[in-house]
Amino acid sequence: MTTYIIRRLLYAVPIVLGVMMITFILFRVVGGDPAVEIAGKTATAEMIADIRHELGRDKPLFINTVAYKHQGVTSLFDSQLFHHLVQSLTLDFGKSLRDRRPIMQIIKDGAGASLSLTVPMFIISLLVSLSISLLVAYLRGTKFDRILVVLCVLGMSMPYLSYIKFGQYFIGYQLNLFPVFGYEPGLAAIRYLALPILIGVLSGLGSEVRMYRTIILDEVNADYVRTARSKGVNTARILFKHVLKNAMIPIITRVVLAVPFLFLGSLLLERFFGIPGLGYLTIEAINSRDYPVINAMTFIGALLYVLGVIVTDICYALVDPRVELR
Amino acid sequence: MTRRTVALLSAFAGSMLVLGCGRTNQATAKDDPGLKVRYAALGSKIRGLDPGDIGDVTSSLVASQCFETLYQYHYLKRPYELIPCLAEDMPQVSDNGLTYTIHLRKGVYFTDDPCFPNGSGRELKVQDFIYAWKRIANIKYLSKNWWIFDGHIVGLDKFRDYTKSLKGNEAVDYDRPVEGLKALDDYTLQIGLTKPWPQATYLLAHLPTAPMAKEAVDHYGDQIMNIAVATGPYKLESWTRGSKLVLVRNPKFREELYPCEGEPGDRGSGLLDTCGKKLPFVDRVEYTIIEEDQPRWLLFMQGKIDASGIPKDFFAQAVTDQRKLSPQLAAKGIDLVIEEDPSTYWFGFNMEDALIGKNLPLRRAMSCAWNRAEYIDVFTNNRGIAAKGIFPPMFKEFDRNWVNPWADYSLDRAKKLMQEAIALNGGKSLEVTLSMPGTDTTFRQMGQYFQRCMDKIGLKVKVDYSDWPSFQDRIKSKSTQIFAMGWVADYPDGESFLQLFYGPNESPGPNNFNYHNPEYDKLYQQISVMPDSDTRVKLYRQMERIVCDDCVAILSLHGVAYGPYYKYIRNFKPHAFGYGLMKYIDIDLDLRHKLVGR
Repeated sequence: MTTYIIRRLLYAVPIVLGVMMITFILFRVVGGDPAVEIAGKTATAEMIADIRHELGRDKPLFINTVAYKHQGVTSLFDSQLFHHLVQSLTLDFGKSLRDRRPIMQIIKDGAGASLSLTVPMFIISLLVSLSISLLVAYLRGTKFDRILVVLCVLGMSMPYLSYIKFGQYFIGYQLNLFPVFGYEPGLAAIRYLALPILIGVLSGLGSEVRMYRTIILDEVNADYVRTARSKGVNTARILFKHVLKNAMIPIITRVVLAVPFLFLGSLLLERFFGIPGLGYLTIEAINSRDYPVINAMTFIGALLYVLGVIVTDICYALVDPRVELR
Repeated sequence: MTRRTVALLSAFAGSMLVLGCGRTNQATAKDDPGLKVRYAALGSKIRGLDPGDIGDVTSSLVASQCFETLYQYHYLKRPYELIPCLAEDMPQVSDNGLTYTIHLRKGVYFTDDPCFPNGSGRELKVQDFIYAWKRIANIKYLSKNWWIFDGHIVGLDKFRDYTKSLKGNEAVDYDRPVEGLKALDDYTLQIGLTKPWPQATYLLAHLPTAPMAKEAVDHYGDQIMNIAVATGPYKLESWTRGSKLVLVRNPKFREELYPCEGEPGDRGSGLLDTCGKKLPFVDRVEYTIIEEDQPRWLLFMQGKIDASGIPKDFFAQAVTDQRKLSPQLAAKGIDLVIEEDPSTYWFGFNMEDALIGKNLPLRRAMSCAWNRAEYIDVFTNNRGIAAKGIFPPMFKEFDRNWVNPWADYSLDRAKKLMQEAIALNGGKSLEVTLSMPGTDTTFRQMGQYFQRCMDKIGLKVKVDYSDWPSFQDRIKSKSTQIFAMGWVADYPDGESFLQLFYGPNESPGPNNFNYHNPEYDKLYQQISVMPDSDTRVKLYRQMERIVCDDCVAILSLHGVAYGPYYKYIRNFKPHAFGYGLMKYIDIDLDLRHKLVGR
């Protein structure tokens, strides 16, 4: 397994480098000039040029052939691309152009709040949807099953924003069960996070239940289930011990790949409920041409995704003895 | 899944709920019912509190409760009037208008902070202003506010050039003299100007010109954006980035009294009831960042914030057709103020565009075809005034008696002009492109409305929707034809608008129209050094007419703000230019308890 992990990690290097190159080309070549944003509303051409110089945006994009002629080989790499690569690979993303704060500090501050929302939401959602799916699979073909499938389709059809707006207005404002908005550090956060978590869980339930139901039904109809039944094994044991275990491969694919994105937060929930997480950080960075932040978030996102894929493969081997990692 | 797995997952979920925590809140008003707390909402995140680098309204709004400037606007008087703040009196200006001598108020202290010896805030000196302004000039600092000083102060541009010459991390020598910035003594500042600068005093009331203690910058380094070492009525208590910021009364704040004069009607509205009382009245200000309309409005309706704007979707619920507060809101003890903004919004023409720039009848036809009244009704719930010129009505340069023939909605005239425009184009039909600064539904609806208006005169319009940075790039590279934009004045002087049409300010400068008119440019050079006078007002109006006659933009509207607030907020008077106004606000705690139960 160690060889496998090392090999997969080595495979990940060109993938991450590729993501970095695409980010660089997208935002440096066609993404516009941050100097215009910094220079402010009454900027002159000279101000913009000065700021471009300070940001290193007047350096060649890929290779500095001009500097090479005067200063030698090392200056060949005095270009925007190499600075971009060095920053990413050393995890020294510098400071945000917008906030002037170290980017790692921004990420550290926001990650906690984001995770405090997304992790419970993810786990509760997983437990609830799996339980409902097992129940529905057990009651397949009954009225209950059919009603639930209809409800799932209805739930999937409703826009996410509608859940948020309705939940905030009805549960938060009209029924006054939870605070409408806000966030406090410490244990007080639970009071504020309850409603967004509830909304997040409810909004995802339709698609989750429908998908897990399909996966579980595939297993329920398998030969080994009939064998277990004929041997007199009780239904709960069949469902939880045998069916769920065999349904784990597709479930793990979905679950483990979703885990890295928990770190990136939930854009709309954070914005509507005032949770100071990372959900909106990348969007704001794109809107304000804050390239160091865009670079950091893309790099970290890519890294987490690649690691997520490797962990998924390892989990396959753990839950299914037939899978061998070579 | 075993019970143990479920238990572990639940425990993990529980632990995540408390992640991101570490600090607990300080003692609040809940413990002290006599404490006056103002609960305010902010519509966007606070970038930072360093005045030299602040360019956005939200950060300015918060930082200006802590940082002060040499001058400030009188809270109650209209038209807007400047009065001394950190200065002892108004500046003494030399006869040639090139030297400003400003005496600093004595006995003003910075807040106590670890950056000072023994943690005790020292007295404010002239050197703190000179340092702050040199810091803005320093290119390494990348301040958004260099435009304030650019080309105005003798030697400051040279200082900027010096900072440009520094390599890498080489330290900036802030002791390097600047000829136009002299400390005659600790309390007397002499500013030497390159040419007369009639707007100088307004800009000395602008937050970025606030003094900065060098000790604070040296002590906090990169973290200076998160700190407020200042002289104002409030100091920073806590700040959860992107969520909440709390200010508390600064115990070292100098003695400043509530004004005893205002405009007619202020006495009747109770705005002079606290005349002569020591500022500030409120002990604590809690800002909550609420970027979405719905939660902001719901919190306001719950009485958890004291004042709010009215989101478009809730406007009908809040305001009647007669522009009065709805009975439901009035019954909750809410009042409403309506105030004009110092703003003008337009669809600008790029005068360097081969088609638009050379076809005056086309520009005029489009301006006459633009239905301002309907647009204001549909898109702003009538929160706007149809624009006929570039100056908003609150400006003294606004001429109530003047009629701009090209800003009146008239389809007949527009169609006639359109025929002229087509003839000028060699008889070929015309098609233009409008660039919109956003991609969301509202921008798309606006674009479609523009298309519909122009379709009525037979003009085809293609609309390009792009995000703000891309839109800005296109404007600055002169690659738009027509663009939707606007301007909110920083100070009550029409020059703020006139600079936008001055030829040498063309893109990437503020003249996004790339408008060049020798007569206009000559007049601009004349007024840019001219002190305020009736003659100058006449020249301003003459310049406005040149721009309108050339139809450089389809002038659309001037903004009007509707601000509902609970009646327990006392001394609330909207101000178009002032920021550090929290010190004037008072709270009737008994009435608050009665109305919202807190």
